[in-house]
Amino acid sequence: MLLLDIKNLTIELKTPDGLIRAVDRVNLSLREGETRGLVGESGSGKSLIAKAIVGVLNKRWQVSADRFNWCGQDLLRLPYDQQRKVIGRDIAMIYQEPSRSLDPTAAILEQLEEAIPAHLLEGPWWKRSYLRRRKAIGLLHKVGVRDHQAVLQSYPYQLSEGVCQKIMIAMAIAKAPKLLIADEPTTALESTTQAQLFRLLASFNQLKGTSVLLISHELESIARYTQSLSVLYCGQLVEAGETASIIKQPYHPYTNALIKSVPEFQPNLQPKTPLYALPGSIPVLQHLPIGCRLGPRCPNARKECVKTPTLERLQNHYYSCHFPLIGKKDL
Amino acid sequence: MNTLLEVRDLCKTYHKQSGWFSQRSVIAVQNINFTLAEGKTLAIVGETGSGKSTLAKLLVGIEKPDSGDILLAGQPVKISHYRQYNHVIRFIFQDAAKSLNPHQKIGQMLDDVLRFSTVLDPQQRKLKIRQTLKQLGLLDEHSEYYPHMFSGGQLQRVALARALILDPKLLILDEALTALDPSLRAQIVNLLLELQQKSGLAYLLITNHLRLVRHIADDLLVLHQGSALDYGNTAHVFANAGHDYSRKLINSAIT
Ligand SMILES: Nc1ncnc2c1ncn2[C@@H]1O[C@H](COP(=O)(O)OP(=O)(O)O)[C@@H](O)[C@H]1O
Ligand code: SF4
Ligand SMILES: [Mg+2]
Repeated sequence: MLLLDIKNLTIELKTPDGLIRAVDRVNLSLREGETRGLVGESGSGKSLIAKAIVGVLNKRWQVSADRFNWCGQDLLRLPYDQQRKVIGRDIAMIYQEPSRSLDPTAAILEQLEEAIPAHLLEGPWWKRSYLRRRKAIGLLHKVGVRDHQAVLQSYPYQLSEGVCQKIMIAMAIAKAPKLLIADEPTTALESTTQAQLFRLLASFNQLKGTSVLLISHELESIARYTQSLSVLYCGQLVEAGETASIIKQPYHPYTNALIKSVPEFQPNLQPKTPLYALPGSIPVLQHLPIGCRLGPRCPNARKECVKTPTLERLQNHYYSCHFPLIGKKDL
Repeated sequence: MNTLLEVRDLCKTYHKQSGWFSQRSVIAVQNINFTLAEGKTLAIVGETGSGKSTLAKLLVGIEKPDSGDILLAGQPVKISHYRQYNHVIRFIFQDAAKSLNPHQKIGQMLDDVLRFSTVLDPQQRKLKIRQTLKQLGLLDEHSEYYPHMFSGGQLQRVALARALILDPKLLILDEALTALDPSLRAQIVNLLLELQQKSGLAYLLITNHLRLVRHIADDLLVLHQGSALDYGNTAHVFANAGHDYSRKLINSAIT
């Protein structure tokens, strides 16, 4: 069943000079139990999309969509309170900087206990605080913190970034969410801790059937943990489909460049030889090119590209490019 | 191959005050040895707290070693002569872009660097600035720009221009590539490789990004709790790391 099904999500910033479209008609869906990666360079709109899903964008942003379904129910049509209730119950998010997302003035125990919803504690009221404590400890064990006694009494600044990140995850899974969104969860972490964290997220996915949306600017670090992939460039969805088939044969020149620029995906590349790189850099929102936003940097651009390409589909593989990297005979 | 930098038995311990009368010492680096030849790249990898930054600080003279020697082209380096060699070894940090003064034009910033460390006259400085900008794929007009007028990728180039304008022999990059977006990182990596090929620049790459290390570093040194665990040719260490810790670190990056 489709858990999340968003069609033509558009997110615009209200400015004195009018609306600036930061996210442009993006489609995104997640099945129950699916792990999807969302990749794109900084500024491509990944975090905006995540925040739009959990409904935490402030009033300066305007969110619209043709469809914004959660478990078959259109969230944008629900009254605000109702919307908050559904999201708060079912979706949890892990943010980029753990130590800043935790409350620096409260001990971990307090913060973790607060994250456990009352309806998940089964027992008479006089046992509630005991049950809550037990549950908090259990959550820490689940995320791989063994030394729970010391950690529960600590304040965030006394703990390493890696442990803070695990606590964030413990808080996120405390309410047994249906969807876990992890926004660049490993940027602050060491490579060994990064690998641990991804394995942890994958294990929740496998054990509990939790769906995971894994957001990163590095394709190589999430490719092996995701089944499906959505690639963003400059606020637009350029390609989506099964991770393995995209890595094997990308259709969009931008995805192709992402893959080719990473030495890891190029086993035959000699050390110290130049990497594949698109010229130029991602444009700022105020000066977006007309038509395909990759146009000025795209090696395959032709005059047709001044028209915005539409999202095309070939089996389960979506792309938006006038000249996809497949022979026309396949189409 | 000419040896540019040689480090022998370098040690550094920090003494932290803990309580009124007691001191706790932290061994930041101990008995570090390595050599780096002209035109080569050495990567130093390890986790936070392994001593990487301390090592970098010792090399650029921000901190003084307790014992051991740092030899530059065979000559021992002394802290008191820092100014003498600060144009031979240059340093670029992770947040290089943020370390630029927002109120100073790029041309002025580069001119300051030259005035501080060279005897060039204004005319020669102007020429040098122009050459350096060009070398990094920037334009003459960029001299008149303030930092906020550049994109992230250009800012990284500006930071490189500041490091390279003194024609250093060695550039130390402390996590300077880690946070970059892939397409930008590929551009900067290509630029660094090209500069190395053209001018024999040596790099000391301090990072925990092992995937990149394999592509650009000739040699690799794995640092753990202040000590060097494995040291040698990159491909060799990747294939035959001697210590469990190094193997774990390498596997986490490549499997
Ligand atoms: N200025 C300092 N004063 C006291 N201790 C320090 C200082 N700088 C580093 N240390 C300690 O030295 C050890 C090595 O740190 P560092 O060189 O910063 O490693 P890394 O760069 O790998 O994070 C750590 O235990 C750290 O706490
Ligand atoms: S539509 Fe044109 S410019 Fe855009 S990615 Fe495809 S070929 Fe390149
Ligand atoms: Mg450091």
